[in-house]
Amino acid sequence: MEPVIEGLSLVLEFDNIVLIFGGVVIGVLVGALPGLSSPMAIALLLPFTLTLEPVPAICMMAALYCAGTFGGSITAILINAPGAPPAVATAFDGYPMAKRGEAGRALGLATFSSVFGGVFSLIVFLFAAPSLAKVALSFRPPEYFALAVFALSMLASISGKSSLRNLISGAFGVLIGTIGIHLTTGVERFTFGVHELTEGINFIPVLIGLFAMGELLNQSQALNVAYERIRAGVVKLPSRADLKLVWPTILRSSFIGTFIGILPAEGSTVAAIMGYNEAKRWSKHKKDFGTGTPEGIAGPEAANNAATGGAMVPTLALGIPGSATTALILAALIIHGFRPGPYLIRETPEFVYAIFGAMLIANFMFLGIGLLGAKTFSMITLIPRAVLWPAVFVFSVVGAYAGSGAIFDVWVMFIAGVAGFIMLRHGFGLAPLVMGLILGKLVEESFSQSMIMYDNNFLGLFESPIVSVLFALTFISLCWPFMGPVVKLAVAKLRSRDEDE
Amino acid sequence: MTGPIRTRRGGGAFWAGQGRDGLVHRTDFIVALIVLAICAFFYIATTTFEEVSNMLAQNIPPEFFPRGVLTIIMVLALVLPFEHILLRRQGKNIDSDRSERVKRMPYLSAGLLFLSIVAMPYVGTLLSTIGICFALPLLWGERRWRLIVPFALIFPLVVAFVFDRILLVQYEPGLFGIAL
Repeated sequence: MEPVIEGLSLVLEFDNIVLIFGGVVIGVLVGALPGLSSPMAIALLLPFTLTLEPVPAICMMAALYCAGTFGGSITAILINAPGAPPAVATAFDGYPMAKRGEAGRALGLATFSSVFGGVFSLIVFLFAAPSLAKVALSFRPPEYFALAVFALSMLASISGKSSLRNLISGAFGVLIGTIGIHLTTGVERFTFGVHELTEGINFIPVLIGLFAMGELLNQSQALNVAYERIRAGVVKLPSRADLKLVWPTILRSSFIGTFIGILPAEGSTVAAIMGYNEAKRWSKHKKDFGTGTPEGIAGPEAANNAATGGAMVPTLALGIPGSATTALILAALIIHGFRPGPYLIRETPEFVYAIFGAMLIANFMFLGIGLLGAKTFSMITLIPRAVLWPAVFVFSVVGAYAGSGAIFDVWVMFIAGVAGFIMLRHGFGLAPLVMGLILGKLVEESFSQSMIMYDNNFLGLFESPIVSVLFALTFISLCWPFMGPVVKLAVAKLRSRDEDE
Repeated sequence: MTGPIRTRRGGGAFWAGQGRDGLVHRTDFIVALIVLAICAFFYIATTTFEEVSNMLAQNIPPEFFPRGVLTIIMVLALVLPFEHILLRRQGKNIDSDRSERVKRMPYLSAGLLFLSIVAMPYVGTLLSTIGICFALPLLWGERRWRLIVPFALIFPLVVAFVFDRILLVQYEPGLFGIAL
């Protein structure tokens, strides 16, 4: 109990509260604006936090993460343009409800559901993270290797068009992670005589380039997009009748979201879509979905925000990111000198509870923002793109430069941006690349140590039951995207045959 | 990606893409070739790694892991041109984001950003960012000078101030030594 109190008291310091509030405001703004995203905001924020103490820096990012997921719902409801991918499903019913003059009711439902989902997942986080970390303390290199490979294999099922492309992206991330001096032998790899590469590629410019520069180039193709905004009106908390209707949906979606968040690599977007589908499946008013039903808003919103707390569990307890944004938070932890994983919870538990506290406070802060300021925050869409994106570029350049004070890193940012633009166009996900980049070192180190342990006998890895289970899960996760449709088809055929009989 | 569609002896088209059915997706075939070329380049680079004794490398030489990753990428890339068949069955359209040609603006914008980074060591970070804040809005069709001029002057200065005075990051002064 003592570390919990210590962590919470750390967060409650005035400076930290101000930074958390800053994170929430930035999060809601970037979440609300189509094109800007939480990963981009965290990538741009990273250089600013280098001079901060680790606790406020990470707390600010965690707050931004929660608020960014919620912020997307504002524009999803008011302009039918989800500010962030996790809010896509919210627009299905949020916009029709707003269109019939009930924007305030829709925003109120979205805000309440988001906060409930967020707080629910944080309670799970509070108990699950230390328990998981306790189990992980017994992990040796083979288990870590198997776990990291499993996390990478989950990239196959991460949201996106193509599992194959996600895997290729993730593998390229791992490859980029090998650039620089090989720790065991001291041999330079892929440096091509460029001395800036001997220490490896700096995370910050790559992240900024992929998420900010790539999107800038993408946005330059859509300069004439105009949004039709619906007046927000007064945002109200859900009525008793609405609550009676949606509480099973909120509870179910909170479970789903937290579970999906805990799975490595699966984030809020997958959770929101599953939350929406399940809300529809269990609803007594299936036909009303898509016309502005409260369950259609509560389902995805509770799920996507529940995924934020869930995603922090593997991130902090195992050092395996639960989503793209937590991958960036993981990178921030590494940059701030922490080693995410079970030792983080064992040695500095107050730090982990401080993050929990920051996310909890963030949830209540955006409850206030959602109810009082949604109308104001939706105004961000009025900022001309021709001004907004040059501003993003300035932040990108300065952010990339700030880390090392070298223009080389600005070039890395530029190249990563162009690569990100091309990758997105051809269906290669950016989140898998980042996950690969961050997990790459863990994969290689744990693999090398395992091979030394088992005298280069790969089969020796299977002596550990945990490794065997993780490899079996890896196999299923790799095959599922290809086998899943076949299985579904077979099940559907069996069902139709039963019905015929 | 236009051109005559070669047909196989069975009758079905060989090349697929942009709404056409076929065995091999033409764009993905090129993408796969590019991925394979990148992998080949890196694979050759692994042959130039300094050799170390087995005792130091503990039987895991520095090229072992990168080669393994490259092999996985190459195997996956080989499937890429045929992936559209599976995706089509799942109701996904891999061409939806690339059905239209890349417009001129991303190339021009990337060119402008490239020039601003090239200019940075000479004119300094501050002037370079002010320049881009003028040029990019103009390139993107913004003509409201009352918006552009204050933005281009004030915004980079505020960012420079925050970095220089609060975060203590020294801007590249350039040949003219212009910094805060």
